[in-house]
Amino acid sequence: MRRIVLSAPLLAFLGACATTIPEDALRLPESTLEIRSIQTRTLEAPSEIDILAATIAVLQDMEFNVDRIEKPLGVITASKVTDADSTAEKTGLLFLDLLCVASGSNNCDASTTAKDDQRITLTMVVLPSLERSGEFTARVTLQRVIFDKMDRIKVLERVSEPEIYQQIFDNLRKSLYIQVSEK
Amino acid sequence: MSRSLPLTLLALVLLSGCATSPPDVAGTGTQLATRQIQTREYDTLDKSMTMRSVIATLQDLGFTIDQADAELGTITATRLHDYTMRMTVTVVEKDNERISVRANARIGENSVTDPNTYQDFFVVLDKAMFLTQHGVD
Repeated sequence: MRRIVLSAPLLAFLGACATTIPEDALRLPESTLEIRSIQTRTLEAPSEIDILAATIAVLQDMEFNVDRIEKPLGVITASKVTDADSTAEKTGLLFLDLLCVASGSNNCDASTTAKDDQRITLTMVVLPSLERSGEFTARVTLQRVIFDKMDRIKVLERVSEPEIYQQIFDNLRKSLYIQVSEK
Repeated sequence: MSRSLPLTLLALVLLSGCATSPPDVAGTGTQLATRQIQTREYDTLDKSMTMRSVIATLQDLGFTIDQADAELGTITATRLHDYTMRMTVTVVEKDNERISVRANARIGENSVTDPNTYQDFFVVLDKAMFLTQHGVD
């Protein structure tokens, strides 16, 4: 019995060191089709290069930096770091700190967990249609990391709001129109 | 003495459990077994279309593409979702008659060694290869 009492915390401790790889890490989620349709549009253009060039112009409009381009595969990767400050969140955390100080504690640092910066990464992939020349599928994926005031990672997530993707594609269509008409 | 020995041993195990280890450069697992788990071959010679299928698969799985090189056949992608998962996929021609696709994945600081996880990836890629080659969206 005594041996069991001793070995239980030991096993728990060793278990905590072990890695847990989620079983479904590379399985398609049920929401795949919905997300794909939010992130994908069909575009018409004289060439794949026109869409890539129009995308770069839109990325510059949105103040992204282009990190990499691979023309033969129709891939553009871009990113930007922006402010993720929220006044409401900061006020709430400051209130928590005030309560904490009022209770006599010396360790009141809730405010340092407030969101500070976010790094947004974007991938644009253009795929020519096999059936119709001049038709392309464009898919945008967006992710972001939010850091707190102490540069600790606070949130890791895919951006899934449909209106954000809609805005990007609206801008892209305008940019593509300008790109093609100016040639 | 006899009573304190097990406790001392326990303390030593606990202290060494998560100790700093030397840099893991060579990785874990045997080279051949790892390659087998991570590799599939396809009866096609269209390297570009295979790479585009890999990219579509990674996007479906929620990754953004960090970089892609058509000449070297390499794609690296990252997924941010509670944890950070990174994958590198290489596409190479074999014997001028088929295409070999090798994927390796890491979650945070650990490499993915479970064969089922790679199997899941190739199930999705198989479908993407079919759809891309037949022009179905």
